[in-house]
Amino acid sequence: MMKRLLATLSLFFGALILAATATGCGGGGGSSSSDTNASSGKSGGTFRLGTASGIDSLNPYVAFNQDAYSAFEYIYPVLIQYDSNLHYAPFFAKSWHASNGGKTWTFKTQPNAKWSDGKPLTAADAAWTINTDIKYASGGAASAAGLVNHIKNATAPNATTLVVNYDKAPGPTWVLGQFQQFFILPQHIWAQHTGNKGADLKTFANNAPVVGSGPFTLVKFKKNNIAIFKRNDSYWGTKPKIDEFGLQQFSDDDAMVTALKANDLDAIEAVPATAMKTLRNAGFEVSDVPGLDQTDFIINSNPNKKEHRELLDLKVKEAFDHAIDRQKIDNVTWLGAAQPANSIIPATTGAWHNPHLKTVSFDLTLANKLLDQAGFKKGSDGIRVANGQKMSYNVIAPTDVQSIPRTFQIIQTDFNKIGVQLKEEALDSTAAFDKMISPNNTYQGFDLAMWDWVALIDPDFMLSVVTCDQYGGWSDSGYCNKSYDKMYSEQQVAPTEAKRRQIVWAMQDMLYKQRPYLWLSNDDSVAAVSSKWADFQNTAQGPFNELNIQSLTQVHQK
Amino acid sequence: MSEASFFVEAPVEGGTSRRGFVLQTLRQQRVALVAALFLAACVLTAILAPWIAPYPLHEQVGLVFGHPSWHHLLGLDDGGIDMVTLLIWGMRVSLVVGFAATFVSMVIGGTVGVVAGYFGGRTDNVLMRITDYFLVIPDVPLMIVVAAIWGPSLFHIIIVIGILLWTSTARVIRAQVKSVRERVYVKRARALGAGHARIVVRHVLPQVAPLLVASTVLTIAVAIFDETALAFLGLSDPSTISLGSIMQHAFDRAAISTGAWWAIVPPGVLVTLLILACSLIGGALEDALNPRLRVAHLSARTFRLRPLVGRGKDAL
Amino acid sequence: MRGTDYVLKRVFFAIVTVWVALTINFVLFRLAPGTAVTNLSRVPHATQQLRHALEVEFGLDKSKWQQYVIYLKQLAHGNLGISYANQQPVSTNLRIALVNTLPMVTLGTAFAIVFGIFTGVIAAWRRRTKTEGLSVSTALAFYAMPTQWLGLMLIIIFAGVFPTAGMTNEFLLNPPFWTHVRDLASHMFLPALTLGLTLYGEYTLIVRSAMLETLGEDYILTARAKGLKPRTVVRKHALRNAMLPITTLIALSLGYIVAGAILIETVFSWPGIGRAVYEAVLQRDYPMLQGAFLVLTLSVIFFNLVADLLYFRLDPRITE
Repeated sequence: MMKRLLATLSLFFGALILAATATGCGGGGGSSSSDTNASSGKSGGTFRLGTASGIDSLNPYVAFNQDAYSAFEYIYPVLIQYDSNLHYAPFFAKSWHASNGGKTWTFKTQPNAKWSDGKPLTAADAAWTINTDIKYASGGAASAAGLVNHIKNATAPNATTLVVNYDKAPGPTWVLGQFQQFFILPQHIWAQHTGNKGADLKTFANNAPVVGSGPFTLVKFKKNNIAIFKRNDSYWGTKPKIDEFGLQQFSDDDAMVTALKANDLDAIEAVPATAMKTLRNAGFEVSDVPGLDQTDFIINSNPNKKEHRELLDLKVKEAFDHAIDRQKIDNVTWLGAAQPANSIIPATTGAWHNPHLKTVSFDLTLANKLLDQAGFKKGSDGIRVANGQKMSYNVIAPTDVQSIPRTFQIIQTDFNKIGVQLKEEALDSTAAFDKMISPNNTYQGFDLAMWDWVALIDPDFMLSVVTCDQYGGWSDSGYCNKSYDKMYSEQQVAPTEAKRRQIVWAMQDMLYKQRPYLWLSNDDSVAAVSSKWADFQNTAQGPFNELNIQSLTQVHQK
Repeated sequence: MSEASFFVEAPVEGGTSRRGFVLQTLRQQRVALVAALFLAACVLTAILAPWIAPYPLHEQVGLVFGHPSWHHLLGLDDGGIDMVTLLIWGMRVSLVVGFAATFVSMVIGGTVGVVAGYFGGRTDNVLMRITDYFLVIPDVPLMIVVAAIWGPSLFHIIIVIGILLWTSTARVIRAQVKSVRERVYVKRARALGAGHARIVVRHVLPQVAPLLVASTVLTIAVAIFDETALAFLGLSDPSTISLGSIMQHAFDRAAISTGAWWAIVPPGVLVTLLILACSLIGGALEDALNPRLRVAHLSARTFRLRPLVGRGKDAL
Repeated sequence: MRGTDYVLKRVFFAIVTVWVALTINFVLFRLAPGTAVTNLSRVPHATQQLRHALEVEFGLDKSKWQQYVIYLKQLAHGNLGISYANQQPVSTNLRIALVNTLPMVTLGTAFAIVFGIFTGVIAAWRRRTKTEGLSVSTALAFYAMPTQWLGLMLIIIFAGVFPTAGMTNEFLLNPPFWTHVRDLASHMFLPALTLGLTLYGEYTLIVRSAMLETLGEDYILTARAKGLKPRTVVRKHALRNAMLPITTLIALSLGYIVAGAILIETVFSWPGIGRAVYEAVLQRDYPMLQGAFLVLTLSVIFFNLVADLLYFRLDPRITE
């Protein structure tokens, strides 16, 4: 009996292992073999990039992660890019001009362009994508709805001309800013997936190899694992120097940094602050540049909130602002790889940031004075009383923002010194948001919270999150101010860049005074690359970004 | 028969008083005694934490991931906080969660076991069916799901762990209660008209108590293990520090690749020792009580194994 | 016909347990805060129409009872819902993940069995010597270690010697078969070793106690008196006695092993079902979580049934 048993068991195990090995070998797109690692010379080779985030979906109507959008930047045509000075530069659109009082925009696109499956890439694809997004804006194409706002329709009178008609003349930088984020999809692939009133747009898996047109094509994709991009030899622009690159996803920072040190990777896109010194000591080039991510302390500014209305008092908000030690937060939470933040539009957006706004000083004496002046006396337990209630609040802390626990401890300790008690209420981001907007988008569910925002270069999106329109959408502050909303519409149609900038600065100034957000840190974008490679550019949005295609097209072996 | 047990040579007859039995067993088994002393020391340290922790818990006292030194024997963590302080406070929370979850599961399991064993018949069948269903559901995934849905808080974790661990206790207690119920003096008490409650409290419970103690200690081991697993996956209360969350912070903040082994190794060692201690004590007690117990009862992973049907009434 | 009777009873029990598991699954996830609607409608300019359309799409506008019936019907067709994260069928995501987990878990279990038998035999044979004490204490010590911590310790020790993340070197495109196998094996080693070390303790104790029972019996003394080599005695008689509880223990723990893989796959970035659970938890991707939980529960129920049937088949006392 035992012999048979052992035999059966070993056969079972053996079969399992063999079967799984065979399966493991199967998947993944094929392509001609290339050297897996550096060969001599300046061009060619495979560049291995590590991330702790990853591409969540290959479908632009579904994807949410930054890495997915960065991937799309490299495989789908976009009309405009940012150059290294953050100015708009031609990409698929070679030139453009506005007419008809600004209500019509004409783009001249690249001639003789092809999709990776050989079909021609023309302005018609761009027009189709725009019209499809408009048509299904309240359904399958909801995530792209913001980008086609105000567009009536788009046409392509010939293969290299795209005409976009607006219902009212938008400002030029606004138009370019929207099209910089707009991915053009191949009509001949996606037109088959508009069924179910456009709902099919979201369920189309868009598996690798993805039909696209860019310096690379995405040839292999395994969720939570790897994405391989191969150089596209039929690309209409400047070809990349490497043969291919891969984006490998790790479940955490530690594994990723360990892999880099063991030379299983060539670069990583978001270096944890604690690993910067170790990597530098190990001979890696660590680049630390100001970033676009900002952490914030949110004060529920819903003018109709019922509880704890003392939090609507501007003097109270100011006191809180002065009780935050931003320098300490930068040192402890970010180990110095951050700057204090002071505006909803970070300084890394260049001219869009209002330079007259000063970072609020850390001044506990002033904070105490302001609260004393408001008449909120400290009780016997050291906690102030406002309108008969203790100034003791829950702070909603979404668990997916890793920096919050350390930062909260610092803020909590300092707030104790001004007589305000804070308690951390950890919730996952869905539950957190649900609670904040409850009941029914009336924003009565919370007093204080902490979160973060990743800004874009173009200020339109960040400015929109505090409009009345975004209740139940992007608003996590409950802020609603008609004058602000008026300025928001105005900046969209401002006729010149200078005029738009003026309005944008004024909006920041208003928010600075009204403080729905107390801005904490603007953390740096830190990337690391092995010294065997050169020209791997880091930007405010990281080296693998949605701004332009420079990093992966210019990187090369030394 | 006694060859099979690791801990005890001669089986101890039932009938001695509860406290005497436990102490007697421990005194006889050196290994278990050492484990018990260690556990007592940990509990004492945890209770005295506010007074004996060398540094403040929330203040940065040095560099992030500072090296071990004379001032900081185990170095500093990713927030510049002293590791020894963290371990003392962390152990406190871990022990609290362990004991509280165990208490919940003891109450449920003990009640179910006593009721099922004492009343027998239909009640027994129904209760055992329910226990069987509970047993088959894998505990770690269920805990993960419930913690993810319910939200990360210490209270939720305690309830979740407690609700899953009662099954083994119930089974063990039930078997013991059954055998006690058949004893002569219980039957005589019934004949004399004593009420159920009285019999249970005066005759059944004292016999069952040593086994309950053994089960309790084993449950604590599992509860501590489960808490570290949940904390590691980010499902524990982020505002409290437990041994599991110390490991999680180190993992999240790239301790290993920075070479800061002191942020990861000590908490794990401490957890291992706690679980080991509880397992040894519980194991010694169980062996002394029931040397015929043949299934290896290492607690943390096989704790919720249900016995295989087919062994008949002897099955626990 | 006791045999058939028994088998039928066990199968029936398994089926009922499956139904209980399905229902618990349904109830648990209906209690989840935030629904598909909250998750998917966080897009710029989301409208009331969009929210309503999503509600209809996910059947959230129907009564709980109707939703339950639909849920059961969909399950019968193998439809586990759509993942929030990538809008793809949960069953597809899980199938790929499960295939990745199996070889690693199998290798780990193999390690555990081999270590367990080896140390158990030594412990029993060298009864009451230091070797026995060492053997058992080591087993207990590894058993008491938190799985994720042991994995991290192995990473610290073996970084640079074995790969510590991922399943294969994904940058090898179309490698020759044996290179691929070697690559897979080297990535699998540490996670499987972690699993093996944390599991083997229980096998040690079982083998040891089973062998001790047998070794004390008269016919063994006779065999030894006759001059049979110790190894033969061990192999032919004592070990055989241990096979029964070991086999059933393996079958029972297989269900739990897949669940325990959650911690190991997280530590080693292994793209299996455990990691899928971890990612689903992070993203609060409830359909994925629900599907994974169901798969894990069903596997445990299945292996329990297998264990029951195996035990019935193999236990000499019952079949007599």
